[in-house]
This record gives sequence, structure tokens and C-alpha cells, in this order.
Amino acid sequence: MTDAGDDQLEEDPRERDAMRQLLKRSLAVEALTKESPELVAGVQRRIRQRSRGRFFADGWGTTQSRVSYFLVGLMTLMVAIVAYFALGPWDMR
Amino acid sequence: MSDDADAGLIDRLVLRDERAFTALVKAYERRIFALVLRMIGNPAEAEDLAQEVFVQVFKAIGSFRRESKLSTWIYRIAINLCKNRSKYLRARHSGDQEPLDAQPERAPTMESRGSYSDIARPDDMASGKQAERIVQQAIGELEPSFRECLILRDVEDLSYEDIGEITGLPEGTVKSRIHRARAQLREIVERALGEKIR
Repeated sequence: MTDAGDDQLEEDPRERDAMRQLLKRSLAVEALTKESPELVAGVQRRIRQRSRGRFFADGWGTTQSRVSYFLVGLMTLMVAIVAYFALGPWDMR
Repeated sequence: MSDDADAGLIDRLVLRDERAFTALVKAYERRIFALVLRMIGNPAEAEDLAQEVFVQVFKAIGSFRRESKLSTWIYRIAINLCKNRSKYLRARHSGDQEPLDAQPERAPTMESRGSYSDIARPDDMASGKQAERIVQQAIGELEPSFRECLILRDVEDLSYEDIGEITGLPEGTVKSRIHRARAQLREIVERALGEKIR
């Protein structure tokens, strides 16, 4: 990418472009390291630790939805209802 | 990412939406890692620092005033953290210098200050990688404020206006730093190569 401003500063455009190409090649990520790391898990872990579990608290935050929270809540409720009817103080006589 | 998409994402980020934040990290992780790696030169340090950039984004998103692009604001955080880390690495390495007579003979490298690797590898000298290694070393020898402007302009392809917002410098200063950085870099590289770059 060139810019009008580049030409205002007494540079030979060909030399500048050659240098720029060499710089881009030299600082390409592949030239500096074998691969780009995935940062998501590490970032979430740091936030979880520093927020003392307030964010990304249990790893579920890394999943794609909050369905897990809903399902566990629903199952807990069902267990409570079943327990109520199974163990409740019903007088069957 | 478009401005509209950014606006929606920012609204969710401000509400501490974890899914939105994960989407943000995924959208920017390669760019931010690449920028930090170019500034610092050491992949392990760059990974650590890139993660820290996103932690800072998460912490500070509430103070983002939407006067600049989200990407520009994230780049500003990244550049500031790079500056601080570079200072720390320089201080740490100047504090544990080996005695001169204990050092093997070698070309001065940025590795000795915590980043970029030794360029004087015979196998590389024989290959087309020599110039790249010389540039990698030379970029580490530039004044940090010159280096950041040069990388943002010539590698990241940002506009002078964006670079001004990221660095907090007036556009004229950005242009002159880029110009001087190019001249310094060219001089170092041509001296090492023993020929002009055309």
C-alpha cells in the first residue's frame, strides 16, 4: 500500500518498495515462528483466575451456548419433584 | 470485521458477554499475535503478551469510547504492552550480562536483549534467508518508537491516521519516524549485506 505522504519525504519509491517487501517477508509470522498459537483457552483461564471465577467460571463459558446451565437447572428441578412425590408425607390410607 | 458488526460486538462485550468475548479473541488473535511477535521477536513472549492484550481488552472494554475503530483501540493496547515488555526485557537482560571474556564470539543480536534470534547461522548465510535474518536482527536494533511506526505502516499496512491514533503521535511525527526508521533499517541491512537493496 502506498500513500501520498510516503512520497513527500525524499525517498526513491523503488528502493522504498524493495525495502518494504523485504521487511514484510522477514517479519511474516511464518518467518518468525512455526505456527500461530490459539489464544482463547489461555485468555479465558487468565480471566477466570483474575476474576476469581466470576467470568469463564467453570469451563462452560468456553462452550458455544448457555444450554448447559438450562439443562442442569431443569434436571435438578425434575429430581426435586420426583423426590417430593416419592418421599413426601403422603397418607395413602 | 465491519463497523456495524463491531458496534454489535462492543455492546455485548460491555455487558460482559463471554461468547462475544470469545468471538472477539478468535477474530483478532492471529493479527494481534502477529503484531506482538513482530514487535518483540520471541514467539513464547509474544504468545504470553498477546493473551495479556485480550485480558486488558476484557478489563477495559467499558472505557472504550467508540471514537476510534475497535481494531485501532486493541492495537493501541497491544503496542503499549509491547513497549512495557520491551523495557522490562531490556532491563532484565542488561542486569544479567555475562562478563565480556565469557561471551563466545558472535554477531550482536536482539536475542541478547530478549528477542529475535541470532542471524549468524552458516546454513542461512548460504541460503536466501540471509537477508531476512539480517532484517529481523536490524529491526530489533531500531529505536522502539521508530520500530512500532515502521511495523504498523510497512508490515501491518495501516494508514498514518490509524498509526497516529494507536501511538498517540501527530501524523507529521509518525511520517518522520517512519522515514527515519526506513533509513536506519536500510543502512543497517545494506552494511550487513554489503550491497544496496533495490
